[in-house]
Amino acid sequence: MLFKKLFRLLVLGGAIIGAGTRCAGVGQSQKPDSQSGDSSPDGGMATAQDGGTSSSGGGGVIGW
Amino acid sequence: MKEAVRQIAGEAWAFRARVEREAANRFRRLSAAIPAFDPDSPVCGLLWRAASDEDRHAELCAGLSASYGCPALGDAADASIAPPTFGSRDAVLYEMVAACCITETESVATLATLLGERAEPRVRAVLREIARDEVVHGRMGWAHLSREAAARDVSFLAACVPSMLSGTVDEGFFSATESGPEELLRHGVLPPARKREIFLRTLDEVVLPGLERLSVSAEPARAWLHKRRL
Repeated sequence: MLFKKLFRLLVLGGAIIGAGTRCAGVGQSQKPDSQSGDSSPDGGMATAQDGGTSSSGGGGVIGW
Repeated sequence: MKEAVRQIAGEAWAFRARVEREAANRFRRLSAAIPAFDPDSPVCGLLWRAASDEDRHAELCAGLSASYGCPALGDAADASIAPPTFGSRDAVLYEMVAACCITETESVATLATLLGERAEPRVRAVLREIARDEVVHGRMGWAHLSREAAARDVSFLAACVPSMLSGTVDEGFFSATESGPEELLRHGVLPPARKREIFLRTLDEVVLPGLERLSVSAEPARAWLHKRRL
């Protein structure tokens, strides 16, 4: 029962959110500095990819 | 409280404090990357708010770890976990699936399980606060994947899921046989056997069906799981 509920809550709930668009103003005042100035257009992803995997082991993210 | 239980609980909460700090860094970085290819995505704003949530969670976890005599120390790392050959859009999708569709979804299941147990009041208060936010954090991944699946072919992810899973747990996770002291549950920690059960059921009943629904085959992941269940 828990897992069926989680599927609805997360997977289906997430898909509904994904079908929407950003609300006016949401994110605008909260944009990180890197979006407003001289940052790379990919948000630093290319640079980050040069790093290691110290926050996870081999391509995944360790959680709780 | 037994000393062994205090130590395990303290280390678990200190580890969680680090995990939460790392998540905050990752979410800020991903929030900055998405507008380059999907400027209308609602996920960008959610990620930015989620980063603040994770900062707060880290403080809550660190407070509990300190109360068990195990201060949460060390800096939080931040580096992309996507294959280096991926372009930025694929790399973001890889990280969103690994961090949110898998890890945050697993975290929600863990928190829901812990909240069903009789935790100490101060532990329960922290679990409740974190659980409320983690639902949104899990949804962010499914929201992003659904947008990408609607816009382009995301089937390449299927072959990546085993790597994501390998990095989510260590190999010993599947071979651990000890049940661990049940007293750990009162301190917000799942004994190893219970943790494995929740992890596997969440994969089988939530994560893998979710991926399949969004055009990502779960067969490579099921093969990976099958080998470890033998």
